[in-house]
Amino acid sequence: MQQQNTSGQQPPVMNEPPRVITTKDALYLKDHMSWHLMTMKKCAHYAQECTDPEIRQALDQAGRMHQKHYQMLLKHCQNNNTAEMAKVPQPKPGQQQQQGQQQNQQNQQQMQ
Amino acid sequence: MLPKVKGPEMNDRDRVNDVLATEKYLITVANIAAWESSHSELHQDAVSICQELQECHRDLFNLMFKKGWYKLEAEEQQKLDQAYKQFSNYSTQFPYTTQAH
Repeated sequence: MQQQNTSGQQPPVMNEPPRVITTKDALYLKDHMSWHLMTMKKCAHYAQECTDPEIRQALDQAGRMHQKHYQMLLKHCQNNNTAEMAKVPQPKPGQQQQQGQQQNQQNQQQMQ
Repeated sequence: MLPKVKGPEMNDRDRVNDVLATEKYLITVANIAAWESSHSELHQDAVSICQELQECHRDLFNLMFKKGWYKLEAEEQQKLDQAYKQFSNYSTQFPYTTQAH
């Protein structure tokens, strides 16, 4: 993976993706939080209507799990993308940055 | 418990069945999110959500089974034996040598 540039300068290399929420991540997070919200509401509503206490308890438990997952995902939206991106080796200003982590890394290796 | 002749209203079985179907859907989309997540912390959370959804689904399934809402149908012994024979013979196609079974 690591290649020496012909110019002799070390290309910026990242060993793993930065702690950044990408556009794609954000889309998934929002979608999934909406689904978890809908499902926790459904579970809570159904649990109230249930006649069988065992079913009621199972649905209640499922609803609480969805709420927990919602909170887990929400936490990732509270991310300092600006600060994280500042740590990422940047290509020369003026050059277009491509979308996607892998592409991004490859491009950065080629540039400068 | 449940009335003998059911009306159009939702009963406990319908409700738990609906949640079961929702869990199945969420497991599929949560799996995709795990594959597509960028950094490792996000990926780990996505994976643990997948696992918990699977467990939740299984718990609901087990509960429904316990209530007698699922019926099992055993495959005919002869057909099962035949499948065993057929697929045992395919072991000649295995690319790796394995210990005798």
